[in-house]
Amino acid sequence: MNFTTLDWAIVAIYLALTLAAGLAGRKYISNAADFLLAGRHLGKFIGVATLAATEIGTITFMYYAELGYKTGFSSFVNGLIAGAVMIFLGATGFMIFKLRDLGLTTVPEFFEVKYSRRLRLVAGFLVAIGGLLNMGVFLKVEGTFLTIVAGLPLSDLKWTMTVILALELLYTVLGGMVSVVITDFIQFVMLSLGTILITGYVIGHVGWGNMQHAVLTNLGANGFSPLSNPDYGWAYIFFQLLLWTAIDVCWQTTAMRTFATKDPRTSQKVFLWTGFIFLGRGMMPMLWGIGALAYFGAGHDSLQAMPEMIARILPTGILGLVVAGMLAATMSVNSSYLLGWSSVISQDIVLPLRRTPLSDGSQVVLNRVVNVLVSLFVLFWGVWYVLPGPVYFYLNITGTLFLAGAFAAFIGGLFWKRANTAGGYCAMIGGAVGSVTYFFNIPAAYAGMSAFALAALGMIAGSLIARPVPLKIPKSGDDQQRINNG
Amino acid sequence: MSFWMWFWTVNFAVAGTAFAVIAVIVAIRGVADLRAMLAALAAERNRQ
Repeated sequence: MNFTTLDWAIVAIYLALTLAAGLAGRKYISNAADFLLAGRHLGKFIGVATLAATEIGTITFMYYAELGYKTGFSSFVNGLIAGAVMIFLGATGFMIFKLRDLGLTTVPEFFEVKYSRRLRLVAGFLVAIGGLLNMGVFLKVEGTFLTIVAGLPLSDLKWTMTVILALELLYTVLGGMVSVVITDFIQFVMLSLGTILITGYVIGHVGWGNMQHAVLTNLGANGFSPLSNPDYGWAYIFFQLLLWTAIDVCWQTTAMRTFATKDPRTSQKVFLWTGFIFLGRGMMPMLWGIGALAYFGAGHDSLQAMPEMIARILPTGILGLVVAGMLAATMSVNSSYLLGWSSVISQDIVLPLRRTPLSDGSQVVLNRVVNVLVSLFVLFWGVWYVLPGPVYFYLNITGTLFLAGAFAAFIGGLFWKRANTAGGYCAMIGGAVGSVTYFFNIPAAYAGMSAFALAALGMIAGSLIARPVPLKIPKSGDDQQRINNG
Repeated sequence: MSFWMWFWTVNFAVAGTAFAVIAVIVAIRGVADLRAMLAALAAERNRQ
């Protein structure tokens, strides 16, 4: 057991505060629009906090640290691309400005606006499958970190996973997006503090020079150059550029923040600021992984090396503060993802399949029931599924399952008059087929690139073969009517 | 290889600094944003 009474007390106080704040959000929910998008009242700073907190979790730290341990400084290319793409989108407003202007609620809703209700349903299924498979490994990876750092036996992992899930489920089910935004803000502060503290301790304890030496000794030039590293290279870099553009535009949890901002200009500013946060979000945990390589040497379990090092180098009190920060990161990501994928299932699958619209109160109940069902899936998937390779590549590919097709359909729908429903179907199917090749021993870079290429070809070929359909854009502001219509 | 060492060191310094500075700004100014959001939601609820 690494935790002392002081560490447990810090974590307990943090959890109590978060739960209280999250539950307080319940009183602000008066309809489904409030539940899903916090009434579209997000300003710039709270927008940055909720977007950053949503996309920075213990899962993020774990998969980036694993890359750092395995590929050294070359792994920094992942953080650089993630940040640079978001900064570019924020500076130019490319796609995100138009998307916010449409006043959407979910990503698949765009498919009905531009294409057809049936394609929305197909997109909803693919988004839900990809999203659930993606989120399915979160709890296990996060639980591994927290179990190791706290010094609990790994046999307690299932219980750690269950407790994390129960806590975040409680306030997400009751308070929806309002609770998520409130807790995201607290969690952003805590996780930022934790991230900076760990980085300082790792550099101070292991030393920058020792890290460079360890990478040179164990990985050689491949540990520095992403172009020569066999895990990366140009194909991987192009795949990551496309993937991160698609994530920033079409990823449900990110898009929900775009949709929830006050106006398109605020969306742009949120992306620009968060882009700079994303540079550190990638590179700092990768450095922890490199620190673990210097600390333990090669041959250690790549996923467990970073938390084991942290448990050894952080002193009492700081360890509790850092675990509270990591717990914050875990809960903010999971609650947002829970809400994000649940909203797709309820709004884009269940409601379109119904012949009569649901009342507003029934929709909120439906969303809550779906939240619970998604949580159960995530718990069971995390317990029995065995990852086929590095966590980061698995997450990339399960995301690409729908992102490649959705991105092609978004580009076509926003910028190409000829784009139509047939093109949308071909893009979604092409993207899904390309990405699943990863599970048949195709490297992640090639599987990902083929997914985007097939989706683009599908969009072009399908649209040219079938008749063009004029773009129908709903008037923004009438959220409730559109949510009621599914 | 010395180019890459230099390149990643500079990148890391920029990324770490930006992360810390923005985190502080957002932590301070986000409170006002959060209050404004809750006030707007409360006003809407009262209107209904």
